[in-house]
Amino acid sequence: MTGEDNAAAALLSISGLTKRYGSTTVVDGLALDVAEGEFVSLLGPSGCGKTTTLQMIGGFVRPDGGRIRLGGRDLIATPTSKRGLGMVFQSYALFPHMTAAANVAYGLEVRRTPRGEIAGRVARALDLVGLSAYGDRYPRRMSGGQQQRVALARALVIEPRVLLLDEPLSNLDANLREEMQTELRRIQHRTGTTTVLVTHDQSEAMALSDRIVVMRGGRIEQADTPERVYGRPGNRFVAQFLGKTNLFAARIADGRVSLGDTGWQAPAGAPDGPVTLAVRPEKVRLSQTGLPGRVGERTFQGGRWLVEMDTAHGLVLMETPNYGPPPPREGETVRIGWQDGDLHLLFEGAPA
Amino acid sequence: MSRRNGPWALIFHTLFVVFMLAPILVVCVIAFTPEGYLSMPTDGLSLRWFRALWNNPDFVSSFRVSLALGAASASAAAAVSIPAAIAITRCDFPGRGAFLALCMSPLMVPSIVLGVAFLRFFSQIGLSGTLVGLTLSHVILIVPYVLRTIMNSLGSLDAALNNASASLGAARWHTFRRITLPLILPGVASGWILAFITSFDEVTMTIFLAAPETTTLPVRLMLYIEDSIDPLVAAVSTVLIVMALAVMILIDRLFGLDRILTGAPDRDGKP
Repeated sequence: MTGEDNAAAALLSISGLTKRYGSTTVVDGLALDVAEGEFVSLLGPSGCGKTTTLQMIGGFVRPDGGRIRLGGRDLIATPTSKRGLGMVFQSYALFPHMTAAANVAYGLEVRRTPRGEIAGRVARALDLVGLSAYGDRYPRRMSGGQQQRVALARALVIEPRVLLLDEPLSNLDANLREEMQTELRRIQHRTGTTTVLVTHDQSEAMALSDRIVVMRGGRIEQADTPERVYGRPGNRFVAQFLGKTNLFAARIADGRVSLGDTGWQAPAGAPDGPVTLAVRPEKVRLSQTGLPGRVGERTFQGGRWLVEMDTAHGLVLMETPNYGPPPPREGETVRIGWQDGDLHLLFEGAPA
Repeated sequence: MSRRNGPWALIFHTLFVVFMLAPILVVCVIAFTPEGYLSMPTDGLSLRWFRALWNNPDFVSSFRVSLALGAASASAAAAVSIPAAIAITRCDFPGRGAFLALCMSPLMVPSIVLGVAFLRFFSQIGLSGTLVGLTLSHVILIVPYVLRTIMNSLGSLDAALNNASASLGAARWHTFRRITLPLILPGVASGWILAFITSFDEVTMTIFLAAPETTTLPVRLMLYIEDSIDPLVAAVSTVLIVMALAVMILIDRLFGLDRILTGAPDRDGKP
């Protein structure tokens, strides 16, 4: 998906966005369009510029160049308080001297919403996040998950054009995080609010987003649906950042991808020459033919096994469901392979 | 924390507390003597010296001057320090370090030097001996205390609170009034109390600046002691001690003394 064919429907439109701190360019000419109702995640390692990008959209950091437009309006020239965006901060930033209900009501009071209307909207917002009974609580007496929900209600109650989420789940423990992911997705579907999420957690990005924007060094590496970013990564960085992946230095000749003695059907139109072959661990299967390998470590993970195998082409990771026959034992020699459709080619030189 | 104090520690602490409290206690007891000189009241207690104090117009007016001076200068210092503290902790401007050092410098300059300097300066601009001049000098002297406690409270606030308020549509002034100020109020209050006490207590600088009608209580005491030592001094001290105690108890009941003295941010809703 390119900028142009999305531009007509874009609610939030960013182009050439740049931020420098001293001699370091943190965000480097970033361009991104977000459609109305879309849930977009900015994903990348720390220092990739994702948080700075969000802060520039929110109005907390001044860009050095580029444009941010919201529904055709120039956002950079608009003060933070007039942007009408909802933001959930990593630290939640709840006002500690106000109850949950007062926190949620704050944005409405600032807007001079009529008193009678405020009570109803606050109640609905708290109900949306499942905290109807907690309106009188002070943030300090709430758990991390509850504080998170209050922060979400506070950001949503002002009916923002865009909801900005800055690593909102990173302070929660693993179980709660999964629960909140589902919750967040449910709430976003119900309200239909256009959402931009910043995260370094790839599973969070995949679980929540309509589109994932993978960033590195202030630039976009790939922006696509979670399925495509995972299944068809554009380059080695994306392939390795999202989930585990096996990379091999292979060759294409005469319409076949070959790795040692083994070969697969090459996709149509793939040019001859060296290529990097990427296969996800869950696509690797035991087979009669294929690459010979010796089983190294195997790790039981409940629902699945992770099996490491030593092959002539390096270490191969295989993921197999905890179902059917158990995986081979350590030290056994087996053959592994995958289907033609399950391999993915990266044209950017041989792997290191 | 659960470790018990050993015998040596207990002895040390006992001695320390006795050493601190004994002189104060002795002064309070002496104040009730019926005699005309400093002595322990051996034959009965008397309120004679408290009556004498009440009937001494010099002390009564000095007491009023000190109260007014302390309250006015502490309030003015707080009013100046809040924006200064916000600028220093939140904004990055050229000369920030120098500005902070300038604000804190009265702590380092000897009071006697300040006294001489203000005396010279005020007589030049026609403020010498006035309550305005005296207040001004006290404000400068106590700003470091208020500034420090307010900066501490500001430093312990999550910077994202400001951003959150702005993103919800609040202008800066609104954010200050509804978010920042309520949260730093304990710090402001503790700074105010520290500043008031410092101003109320200050002798070295004030003695240069006070005119007869603006003589503060400590200066009055000092002048009084110069020609006569009688239990009136003890009576004054006792009144001050009792008042300080009453204020501390009141503050503790209202806000919690620990929080005020450390300038900790508001912890509403803490169980």
